[in-house]
Amino acid sequence: MSDGREHSGGPEDDKVLVAEYALGLLDGSERVLMAHRVATEPALTVEMRIWRDRLATLDREFAETPAPHEALGRIEHRLWGEAIDQRPAARLKNWWNSVTTLRGLAVAGYALAFVAIGYIFVQPPRVDPNTLATQLVAALQATEGSGVEFVAFYDQGSGAVRITSLSGEALAENDYELWYIHGDAPAVSMGVLPVNQRLEIPLDEAAKSGIEAGTTLAVTLERKGGSPTGVAEGPIVAVGKITPI
Amino acid sequence: MMNPSPDISELISRCALRDRNAFRDLYGRTSAKLFGVVLRILKDRAEAEEALQEVYVKIWQRADRYVQGGYSPISWLVAVARNHALDILRARKPVNDDIDEALDIADGGPDPEQAAMDKGERGRIDTCLATLDDDKADCVRGAYLDGFSYEELAARHGVPLNTMRTWLRRSLIKLRECLSE
Repeated sequence: MSDGREHSGGPEDDKVLVAEYALGLLDGSERVLMAHRVATEPALTVEMRIWRDRLATLDREFAETPAPHEALGRIEHRLWGEAIDQRPAARLKNWWNSVTTLRGLAVAGYALAFVAIGYIFVQPPRVDPNTLATQLVAALQATEGSGVEFVAFYDQGSGAVRITSLSGEALAENDYELWYIHGDAPAVSMGVLPVNQRLEIPLDEAAKSGIEAGTTLAVTLERKGGSPTGVAEGPIVAVGKITPI
Repeated sequence: MMNPSPDISELISRCALRDRNAFRDLYGRTSAKLFGVVLRILKDRAEAEEALQEVYVKIWQRADRYVQGGYSPISWLVAVARNHALDILRARKPVNDDIDEALDIADGGPDPEQAAMDKGERGRIDTCLATLDDDKADCVRGAYLDGFSYEELAARHGVPLNTMRTWLRRSLIKLRECLSE
């Protein structure tokens, strides 16, 4: 490093590269390359976390500055425009908008879930060669707090989602409720989930069109019997994206 | 247990459930901070306004990744904003999603642990920066907080570019050693 220009390679240089990346000193292809390496190489991921966490304490030095008044309206227009009202799920919007008054029911103490996706291997199905039925899977794995894990499996040929809890205990005062979130449409309930047993959930036409690769599945903790309003009220205990297998 | 004022973390996870009111609430509580971030790095109000909009679009679209990522909530928001501003600064336009890949690295630690660590580490970066020469510590802060490149830092400190690279890399190694002590 004596010439101050080249990295000669090796773990020590990698460490410096991560530091430079964390500080924002890299540009162009170096920056893109390090972003990828930091996300995919475990040793660099650990190193990046160290820098990220330590440097974050400097964040306090970014002075708060009121954002321009019109910014929120512009953001909402970018996100939702008018198109959202044409979606089938738009009728759920009013329910959804009532969530602020109901949010007070949220049960604290359940940590957010972390999700492992794509590591589930399922026996290949017997598929009618004349159909192009796709099989989809989502793993919803909870860590601290809830200890509840689910795996969901959807064969588009059958029109039903099968979901099984892998671990977790039934609660006296609460139930777990499953939701799907398709694009920007509000979450749609798929019902209450039993713990420690398998459930098959037949899908209606709206759900069939809304559940595909990329759709998010989430489990929230709700009052007994599930949210009475059709809107999630409790905290999310697990969430995961659906991926094809 | 009543929770009439959801915390930032809860608001972000509500965004993952496509709760627009939660998004508005989140914006109301964090936009001044994030505008401060993009304005300081971009140093151009019009550009910062545009960037702020893009940042919140990203936050809405990636809220589910926060839920998985284990960041402390405000750190995640600042990281999204800072990263986006750096993209603009380095390329004059966002490069691509690859850059944000690195935002998604999970740390396996839940929020309470993160918060405890933040508390424990507070002051650590300051302590370690204080072990560097003043002008070198300034470079580190300038890179992180202002998005200064090696070229800009070299110009500001009146040294050749390669000298700045050598300085700063040595400083980063020293800083890294101090941070893990």
